[in-house]
Amino acid sequence: MHKGGRLRQAAKAIIGVLMLATAAGCGGDDTGFANRLTPAIAADGTKTLRYGNQTEPGTLDPHQASGVPAANVLRDLYEGLVITAADGQVVPGVAESWQISDDRRTYTFHLRSDARWSNGAPVTAGDFVYSLRRAVDPATASPYADIHKPIENAPAIIAGDKTPDTLGVTALDTHTLEIRLAKPTPYFLQTLTHPSSDPVYEPAVEQWRDSFTQPGHAVTNGAYTMAAWRVNERIRLKRNTHYWNNADTAIDQVEFYPIEDSNSELSRYQAGGLDWAVTVPPADTARIKRHIPDQYHAVPTIGIAYLGLNVRRAPFANNRKLRLALSMALDREIITDKILRGDQPTLYSAVPDSVRDYSPVEYDWQDWPDDKRQARARELYHEAGYSEEHPLHAEYLYPSGGVGKTLGLVAVAMWRDVLGANITPVNQEWKVYLQTARQGYDTQIFWGGWIGDYDDPNTFFSIFNSEAALNYTGYDSPAFDAAQEASSHTPNGVKRTALMHQAETQLLHDAPIIPVFVYTYHQLVKPYVTGYAPSALGNYYTKNFDIRPVEAGR
Amino acid sequence: MLAFTLKRLAGVVPTLFILLTATFLLVHLAPGSPLDGDRPMPAEIRANLEAKYHLNEPLIQQYGRYLLNIAQLDFGASYQYKDTSVNDLIATGFPVSLAVGGFSLLFALVIGIPLGIIAAVRQNKIADYLAMGGSLAGISVPNFVLGPLMILAFAVYNDWLPAGGLGGWQNYVMPVLALGTMYLAYVTRLMRASTIEVLRSPFIRTARAKGLSEMRVFVVHVLPAALLPVVSFLGPGAAAVLTGSVVVEQIFGIPGLGRFFVTAALNRDYTLVLGITLFYGIIIILFNLVVDVLYGWLDPRVAYR
Repeated sequence: MHKGGRLRQAAKAIIGVLMLATAAGCGGDDTGFANRLTPAIAADGTKTLRYGNQTEPGTLDPHQASGVPAANVLRDLYEGLVITAADGQVVPGVAESWQISDDRRTYTFHLRSDARWSNGAPVTAGDFVYSLRRAVDPATASPYADIHKPIENAPAIIAGDKTPDTLGVTALDTHTLEIRLAKPTPYFLQTLTHPSSDPVYEPAVEQWRDSFTQPGHAVTNGAYTMAAWRVNERIRLKRNTHYWNNADTAIDQVEFYPIEDSNSELSRYQAGGLDWAVTVPPADTARIKRHIPDQYHAVPTIGIAYLGLNVRRAPFANNRKLRLALSMALDREIITDKILRGDQPTLYSAVPDSVRDYSPVEYDWQDWPDDKRQARARELYHEAGYSEEHPLHAEYLYPSGGVGKTLGLVAVAMWRDVLGANITPVNQEWKVYLQTARQGYDTQIFWGGWIGDYDDPNTFFSIFNSEAALNYTGYDSPAFDAAQEASSHTPNGVKRTALMHQAETQLLHDAPIIPVFVYTYHQLVKPYVTGYAPSALGNYYTKNFDIRPVEAGR
Repeated sequence: MLAFTLKRLAGVVPTLFILLTATFLLVHLAPGSPLDGDRPMPAEIRANLEAKYHLNEPLIQQYGRYLLNIAQLDFGASYQYKDTSVNDLIATGFPVSLAVGGFSLLFALVIGIPLGIIAAVRQNKIADYLAMGGSLAGISVPNFVLGPLMILAFAVYNDWLPAGGLGGWQNYVMPVLALGTMYLAYVTRLMRASTIEVLRSPFIRTARAKGLSEMRVFVVHVLPAALLPVVSFLGPGAAAVLTGSVVVEQIFGIPGLGRFFVTAALNRDYTLVLGITLFYGIIIILFNLVVDVLYGWLDPRVAYR
């Protein structure tokens, strides 16, 4: 006992000393929130933008990469036929203009004549033919190959039934590219903004194989090219002097730091080592909003956080009322306002509001007063065959790390309070969770989240198609599939919107998922970074930014 | 002594073989696959990848293939970091771990040994209490508390040191302190206890009785004997410093081997886990060997057989 006391006192002493040093540093400044404004501008005027980038990208091969951190780097390295504006609109990239045929199945792209690779070679239509074939080639084994399925013959090539050269992509001449689709696809242009549609430089790929992405080997056509890559430390890009719009590119170097711990990232941002942080520790949000509100940006993304229900097996198979009861029992406002506290919008639909040109169908009970909603949830629970005496026993599966735990614990408490249901949270390490969810046998209720690949409702509807690999719920509705598939081949307009609303209505009615909130990016951007505009897609291009030191005294 | 060293070296190969086999089995038995990602692959693409990595073969065949590569000192390609090889990752990560771990250990020894001696000589005086109090605090505060506190004090609220990453020597100061403090405390206590014990030994009394100067008694007779426990701590200690820097590397964003090790295990990056395990295995065995040899040099009572 005596020893324990001494230990504690010693620990207190050390912490006290450090606290004193901390307090001394604050000096007369009473804000208590250090935030150094020291942009990285070298003596010769070289400007460097330093991003926090969460995890280290596994690869920078556009056709092998997956995940947001890799996409962040790839947007600066490679430029596709089309790119996105801050508001999500598709705008010209390497293609200056394009025509769509009357049957909406043939796209003809006119490439810039001044587009260049970082070694000075021109970017040609042939480069895109090579790259798109590579993206669907089974030998590449791209995790995103299926995003190209609208292109003629792509599904057969991915399955290995046809050779990659049968892909519906042709170079009409050096700077004209034709892409033929199997069926009209209204969101096709959006899929071309994805890194998986980026061109790669054939000679570099053929010469260096897996290491063609490394500094010294990499040849890129974006505003930047590889300068250095030290795994788990930083990726540094330098200006591509051959980029067609190099004259308007202000920032000379870009650095991406893989910092997984959000507290570490915040410290680095405050200490002046980062110009841009991609996460904010929830506990610090209030403090940040109070001290540097103009640097804090909460941007609802095109991503949904939901709880999935395995409809293949008991207790959720053939029990729509039970599924809906669980969904209605959740108080989403409490989850977002009191628990997450990161300005996340609540979600009562399958598609978030942030998707362009689409207003989602939402549950009508979202505006009901709490007691009415809860009473209805109880009613459904009883109709589903459960009661105080025979409560629902089920497991909630969530992966280690992330918001799945917090959210689950709150949901479990709400289900107990409102319905009397007995749900046990079960934690699995990330890879184990993925395997369990994919196999779909042991899961009952599980954490689910999905960040859309492109800015169209189909990126959400397609994952609930009975054939989709991501359909962990096992949801299999011919009515939903029919509406989803029809909507993905109908030109944008009233008719397509009606089909999408039909699909969403069906999905919400069947309730294989419990939508909870809209994923929200939390960014900290220093005030000397100019040109920032929030993007729901998270598509930021460093070429659009500049660094202009703010006057001293801040 | 040479025969002893050679005999010990001969024992290294079977040890490593057992280590490798057990690790190979364990990583493959762990649920989850390196191919599972947040975006699940269509079945046909997954099959393509499994064929590419030979994951569709029987385990024994995969093991044979792996051993064959290891025999050629090729640790293979990383599943997670597809653009680079395990050899390259170890080659870039180890020097960083070595620098942080090495300086931490050096810091612990250079400060800890004199501090322990002073505490022992001035037993139950103010210097002793200060040294022991300090080391108690050092052992009590874990590095995941000390690290962030130091960042706040020295990087965020004062612009004295960078908050993380690699760059100049300044980047190493806080990680070395965060990692080394606990070992410093440990070495101090160890040194104090052993010095006190040696000072009470009959052979020291004999040395004094012979009329040797206090200085000579201390340097020639007390010190070598008192250092023994610290030396035997060095073997496992060095290994622990090298492998135990994961938390510190994470907090300070340092690309050391410890961080690779943990992320590799979480990612089911089979080749990287095996490569680092084997590498650490070799290092730990070598360190223990060096310590054993050193031990005999310091203590004539130890015989090499």
